[in-house]
Amino acid sequence: MEVLRLQNLQKSFGSVRALKSASFTLNEGEVVALLGDNGAGKSTLIKAISGVFPVDRGEIYVRSQKVSIRSTRDAMDLGIETIHQDTSLAPDLSIARNLFLGREPVNLKWLGVFAPLDLAKLRDAASALLKRVGISKKLDADALVSTLSGGERQSIAISRAMQFAAKVIILDEPTNNLGVEETHGVLRFVKEVRAAGHSVLLITHNIHHVFQVADRIIVMRRGEIVAEQTVADTDLLTVESIITGADMSALLKETRAK
Amino acid sequence: MPGVKRRSSLIRSPQFSSLVILVVLLAAFAIADANFLSPLNISNMMAFLPELGIIALGMTLLLTGGEFDLSVGAVFGLAPVVVMLLVQSGQVDIGVALLAGLLLCVAIGAINGLIVTKIGISSFLVTLSMLLVVRGAALYITQGFPLKSWDQPGFFVTLLAGSFNIGSFRFYTSLWWFVGLSLLAIYVLHYAKLGNWISAVGSNRNAAVARGVPADAVKIWLFILTSVLAGLAGMISAFRISAASPVAGTGYELEVIAMVVVGGTALTGGRGTILGTIVGALMLRSIRNGIVLIGVPGLAYNIFVGVIILAMLILHALLQKNAARS
Repeated sequence: MEVLRLQNLQKSFGSVRALKSASFTLNEGEVVALLGDNGAGKSTLIKAISGVFPVDRGEIYVRSQKVSIRSTRDAMDLGIETIHQDTSLAPDLSIARNLFLGREPVNLKWLGVFAPLDLAKLRDAASALLKRVGISKKLDADALVSTLSGGERQSIAISRAMQFAAKVIILDEPTNNLGVEETHGVLRFVKEVRAAGHSVLLITHNIHHVFQVADRIIVMRRGEIVAEQTVADTDLLTVESIITGADMSALLKETRAK
Repeated sequence: MPGVKRRSSLIRSPQFSSLVILVVLLAAFAIADANFLSPLNISNMMAFLPELGIIALGMTLLLTGGEFDLSVGAVFGLAPVVVMLLVQSGQVDIGVALLAGLLLCVAIGAINGLIVTKIGISSFLVTLSMLLVVRGAALYITQGFPLKSWDQPGFFVTLLAGSFNIGSFRFYTSLWWFVGLSLLAIYVLHYAKLGNWISAVGSNRNAAVARGVPADAVKIWLFILTSVLAGLAGMISAFRISAASPVAGTGYELEVIAMVVVGGTALTGGRGTILGTIVGALMLRSIRNGIVLIGVPGLAYNIFVGVIILAMLILHALLQKNAARS
């Protein structure tokens, strides 16, 4: 079932047409990798979907309903959560407090921002969440995020997105700066996210990771989507040649002949 | 065992090490001079403590939110001066004048906050300029002369600078203000939803914004709060000594920031502790008082204050390194 559909999205910054035209569909329980060189328009596209800025033209549909996304809050309310490596968690807060940041369970709600946090509920919900996503053995809900490794932080951020029943989770370079083992941990986690029924839009530079977790690949070049293929129907070299735009067909034939 | 773990993390916490040093300092001063713990001296310290302590509470929240305010000393001077000028003009009564003074503080804090958040200039530069503007204004409107403060007994004098005796100790009502505001600050920072937002904004502003936390509004209100508390402290001080001086509070901004960081609040934002600030305020107050008592020459005492603060900060840094390693 279709979760997110983009139709002819366009965005210019001054005379630069960062996004010439982008249309694609993301289905339920699907991991789609968005690939492209620097400046291909990947970040413009995900910023438009996550509400950082509005598009100039084009439509966004969530579950077949046309929507307008004017702020990050709008996107979150529609079930679109974006996770950036460095900007998703506050390191000086505990895991539990990070998980519920901006959506804190409180008592005496009428006190507004002065309402007391429901600390017991906060901790229980955080522990339950960590257990559900299978990382409770190692992590204590009261531990400060600053004591966690990069991979653990990434997992926490992704579980938070799952917690709030996000339909679409956008992962922006989730494996940057991670060690080999941690990278595998995060990729395994992406598969679990898909198994739980969420859809993932994965932005990455690393094509090897794409082939490990993605169902489909979308390649962008110079602000346009230039290829869309299921992982089963393509291979690494083909994708690489589409990204760079170089004619690698000769090379390709040669390799295949071998 | 969780109990052991909790205890060791308590011992490693910055508040705890500050508390240990405070106790050592108090013991050392008490041994060096028996008068240090005399009722008169303790009463003296308790009279001064709330005035800087109240500002330090606001500064703790502001620093936790990732900003700081150098204009608090100047606001401490300007607010009572404006109140007294209004009263002396004879057109308003003391209650209205106090309210006007506090509204002025709200305006100063709001300007600081708006420039920092909306224009994006660092709080160091904005509040340094504000320090000059506010101090300059206080000097100009008084022509540099101290004003005789309101000294007729009445509701507001009792409220801000009344005194009472417990045994042979003499305390001012300002101590209650400090205690009450401390409890309120502890609640807000550690137990309320707002405290979570303040820490998050100071720790990683982008993360907080991405979760829908109104980071700019949080910071602006913290600037306002800090200014208002500085003005309130200035009024308390002026009522206690029955004089409002345009140069009152000079240098307080640095002393207040010292109290806050000595107590364990991070200068870089995200981590704040009100209990630490109370310990820090007690520490700086007793250092100032104690080294005079034990006979350090007056002109040399800033050397001691500076050295002791540095020692405290080095100790915090070392403790934190150890904690990170284990």
